[in-house]
Amino acid sequence: MVSALILSVTFLIINILLFASTFYQVLILSDLEADYVNMYEAASQINRWILPEFVLQGVLTLLLLVTGHWIMFLISVPLTCYHVMLYIKKRHLIDVTEIFRVIGAEKKYRLVKLGLLSILFLCVIFRFLVLVTFYHSQYGELDIRSSILEF
Amino acid sequence: MGTENPGRPAYPGRPATTPFGAPPPPNVRPFSSTPPIPGSGPSTFRPTTAPPSQANTPFASSGPMAETEAPGFQPRPPSTFSNPSAAPPPALPSYGSPAPGARNFQRFSTPQFTQAPQGPPARPPTMGQAPFGTPPAALVPGAPPAFRPTANVPAVPMGLPPQRATYAPPGGSVPQLPSESVPSVPRPNFQQSYPAADPSVPTGRPTVPPLFPGYPNQRPHAPPPATLSQSPFAARPAGDVPAPVVASPFQTHQGGYVQPHTVPAPFGMPPRDPMQHSASGPPSNAMYGLMEDFNSLSIGSVPGSLDPGVDSKALPRPLDGDVEPTSFREMFPLNCHSRYLRLTTSAIPNSQSLISRWHLPLGAVVCPLAEVPEGEEVSIVNFASSGIIRCRRCRTYINPYVTFTDAGRKWRCNICSLLNDVPGDYYAPLDAMGKRVDFDQRPELAKGSVEFVAPTEYMVRPPMPPLYFFLIDVSVSAVRSGMIEVVAQTIRSCLDDLPGFPRTQIGFITYDSTIHFYNMKSSLTQPQMMVVSDLDDIFVPLPDDLLVNLSESKTVVETFLDSLPSMFQDNVNVESAFGPALKAALMVMSQLGGKLLIFQNTLPSLGVGRLKLRGDDVRVYGTDKEPALRTPEDPFYKQMAADLTKYQIGANVYAFSDRYTDIASIGTLAKYTGGQIYYYPAFQSASHKEKLRHELARDLTRETAWEAVMRIRCGKGIRFTSYHGNFMLRSTDLLALPSVDCDKAYAMQLSLEETLLTTQTVYFQVALLYTASCGERRIRVHTAAAPVVTDLGEMYRQADTGAVISLFTRLAIEKTLSHKLEDARTAVQQRIVKALREYRNLHSVQHRLGGRMIYPESLKYLPLYGLALCKSTALRGSYADASLDERSAAGFTMMALPVKKLLKLLYPNLLRIDEYLLKPSASAQDAESTMKARLPLTMDSLDSRGLYLFDDGFRFILWFGRMLSPEISQNLLGHDFAADLSRVAFSERDSEMSRKLCALLQKIRESDPSYYHLCHLVRQGEQPREAILIMSLVDDQIGGTSGYVDWIMQIHRQVQQNA
Repeated sequence: MVSALILSVTFLIINILLFASTFYQVLILSDLEADYVNMYEAASQINRWILPEFVLQGVLTLLLLVTGHWIMFLISVPLTCYHVMLYIKKRHLIDVTEIFRVIGAEKKYRLVKLGLLSILFLCVIFRFLVLVTFYHSQYGELDIRSSILEF
Repeated sequence: MGTENPGRPAYPGRPATTPFGAPPPPNVRPFSSTPPIPGSGPSTFRPTTAPPSQANTPFASSGPMAETEAPGFQPRPPSTFSNPSAAPPPALPSYGSPAPGARNFQRFSTPQFTQAPQGPPARPPTMGQAPFGTPPAALVPGAPPAFRPTANVPAVPMGLPPQRATYAPPGGSVPQLPSESVPSVPRPNFQQSYPAADPSVPTGRPTVPPLFPGYPNQRPHAPPPATLSQSPFAARPAGDVPAPVVASPFQTHQGGYVQPHTVPAPFGMPPRDPMQHSASGPPSNAMYGLMEDFNSLSIGSVPGSLDPGVDSKALPRPLDGDVEPTSFREMFPLNCHSRYLRLTTSAIPNSQSLISRWHLPLGAVVCPLAEVPEGEEVSIVNFASSGIIRCRRCRTYINPYVTFTDAGRKWRCNICSLLNDVPGDYYAPLDAMGKRVDFDQRPELAKGSVEFVAPTEYMVRPPMPPLYFFLIDVSVSAVRSGMIEVVAQTIRSCLDDLPGFPRTQIGFITYDSTIHFYNMKSSLTQPQMMVVSDLDDIFVPLPDDLLVNLSESKTVVETFLDSLPSMFQDNVNVESAFGPALKAALMVMSQLGGKLLIFQNTLPSLGVGRLKLRGDDVRVYGTDKEPALRTPEDPFYKQMAADLTKYQIGANVYAFSDRYTDIASIGTLAKYTGGQIYYYPAFQSASHKEKLRHELARDLTRETAWEAVMRIRCGKGIRFTSYHGNFMLRSTDLLALPSVDCDKAYAMQLSLEETLLTTQTVYFQVALLYTASCGERRIRVHTAAAPVVTDLGEMYRQADTGAVISLFTRLAIEKTLSHKLEDARTAVQQRIVKALREYRNLHSVQHRLGGRMIYPESLKYLPLYGLALCKSTALRGSYADASLDERSAAGFTMMALPVKKLLKLLYPNLLRIDEYLLKPSASAQDAESTMKARLPLTMDSLDSRGLYLFDDGFRFILWFGRMLSPEISQNLLGHDFAADLSRVAFSERDSEMSRKLCALLQKIRESDPSYYHLCHLVRQGEQPREAILIMSLVDDQIGGTSGYVDWIMQIHRQVQQNA
């Protein structure tokens, strides 16, 4: 049971990381549009996070699959496939020479990604709460905090 | 004049000439219906003709007015014509003007603004009737009567027709419709004198009806035709003279290919008429239905005609070269010259829906530093003390379209309409007209193009010196082809002419499998060479002295260039460490920026940025992987390009190999740094020497703008959304151009931000901030205005084929980077079809078009240029038709070409020159006329007894007919005349004829110096060599591509589908 909880916390953390990374990228793109950063910096800032993000997303999807969380898996698998496609076509990195031409599309793509991640986030949170309540009802005396502190 | 309408900023600069002799009373607005004042003479305005509700149709109106106009449009039934005299106007005009009978002309043109005052009817009657001559002016004092306030105000461009007439050349052939006619009294002349003419009229007419069966419908709102027929003459309420309508005008349209009148109206709008801008345009649709200047081609559908139905000779061909629309300039004389800025249509649509129906690109082509003929240089303004005057909010530079108010203490920005204060130093009082008294002394207020000297706020660092850095491949192929020698000699000969003396800096790196740096410190007598062979970790062996001041180190540089060819003559190294050498060059130059000239002879094979042979696999072609071959293979090149731009380095790439060098990758360097690609496939110094020498010399010596940025601003409500050309965007609307010169043009597309534009005029301002070679920081500003219209027909009329094609080219080439060639070609065709279909729909309601293909006069060459574009090196055929490198190089080149050069490349000149050569004493005039007599690009133009010159701006092809008299070939080619021409080099021989030909070629080269025309010789029937010419004959059907006739048929068929 504890392993389920650990798993669920892991999902939560990965999800938050992904969310943060995507959000950061959107932020940089907006800054770029408003001319607060120059394009060289923006491109290198964004590109630095893209591969780790792809890996993390892949790991998450794999974990969801292996542990049999079908619904969440189905939510995250399209995004992962899209990443793989981008990577294969070598279009995953932001191209500094064309950045202003693609800025709209890149931003939209990341916003959609944010949407998907927030849906996933809801699922993860929901599952986490279900688990916690379950613990709670089973071992009435155990409160949430202590169950988290357990690991 | 404009004083009365302060509100209309749009025409501030308008010249004083009013079309009407007497300006209409100030208060006359189009709508205001001033009661007609019969007696008042000049200012007879017509009461509003049309009820306001009918927007476009002036006609609809009630009463007499309706009649008046009606005649204009109505096609009269043939019968009417037959007896002209029968149709006298019902009511004679109150003015005693010409006999009623006289007026039977149909006026097609709207009576609207009469130009009568101005003038004399310029043209003799169209129909060939006897001109009458009384000048209208004399008769009518107040010619202006014509000026009708039309109800439909804003949108309707009125006035044109009349104007046209006025200005039109006398030639009877003029397509214009008789429009002139404003019935106003003054124009008796116009009315063709009928009585006499009558007989002729009827005869002329009969043909008409069939041709224009559709006319009755032209005016949508017009009363049914029947009524019209009755009232051939309009009775003008204001006492205007009724104008009978003559059918004849139509004739012009008949015939397969009609030449319509020239579109633009010269100007003419009464200055203060609120509608002015609209007025400038051609007549509005409804009103001037007949006048519509569309051209038509009868295609096929005539029963009994032979199949193709198209006479290929009758198809429009741009044999006069690029004809720029002039109306725009006449409408806004203060605009910058069209060589700097060309809009795809000089009528800006006011709504999204209009844009979506205009299927052509909407945008502009800008060539900020275009070469100017002597005497038209852009004037330089120095605001030393007051600083450059700009709008506080939108940062627009002061320009001729700003208006001064408050006795000259404030000025209103024409782009964002903010009121700005005039700095004390710049203050000047206004005269009675609201113009500044010092207007004439201020180029920035009098001219559309000026250059401001920028103070230090416009610099992030001291202005850089002109800097030339050479990166020269010295591997074995470069040595063998003789490239090094030519390059070294050329650079040496240009040393004195490099711009920016005495600040100019220069430096060299050579490379094969190692990188060679040269210390050229002025204290040395000989350059020192340093070799770096560690390609993975490049370092610069000396901190300074790799870049030296040319004036100080000139002797060292000269010594170096003299010895360069011999230094490497025994080099057998086949490798090329291009990537590392490029990085080294970047390190050396990063302090200053400048121009980097890359001479690359082989595929980069060592170190970072090495490239593979791509494109050997034939199976890739035609699949989705094909476009990848046209994009850079290694991200290194894009990254380097970005870095070069960052450090203000512009790269020009000279590529020489006969084998694959991956121009697609290497060219990226030039593409994103505002540079240029020069490609000399299979370079051999014997044959290409002159070309390389000329082009390199031009590259080195032409006036160059350094560390530049360019921005184009436009009025509220519209926005430039995409930019196309060789540059890198540094922000959403800022083009970074490390080095820019007169041979570069940039295109951009517009979109509407608001759903509806409420202004009547929009302004564009191109600003290029750069460092001149002399070390001064300058801002070159070009300002232009364009009217906003609500009418699609107007947009088509004001279209500029050159700019449209230029944008098409760039879009198509960009498309080839991600799509198949086929898709890019189809896209071009589809857009042409859609545009013509929309145009057809516009007119099909009013005219029975039948099988005719119609198109606006302004776009008559569009289909042909579209075809030529599809057959250009960058887009044509499939993989076998052009090598990958050739295609990429052509693509990069075409992305940067100014409009005129591009059009010439797409539709080259073909001249027959044997007659000129044979003429014993040919004068300069003969040469001139020979150069003007361009022939259609088809095999049929080539007579086997002739000698032809083909000139596309990049090369000459001399085509020797099989039956050309041997005397000519012998004179031109010497003893080689019978030999295989591929082995013969063309050069001047010792004969009169040869000298004459060389002089002619020289003349053409001088007129178009941006590239050197290399001369190729071809004999008729000599395969496969003749193919270089045959492939370029755009009108012909060659190897699976359609010929001009087929293309027109195809387009026509598609236009008619779902039309």
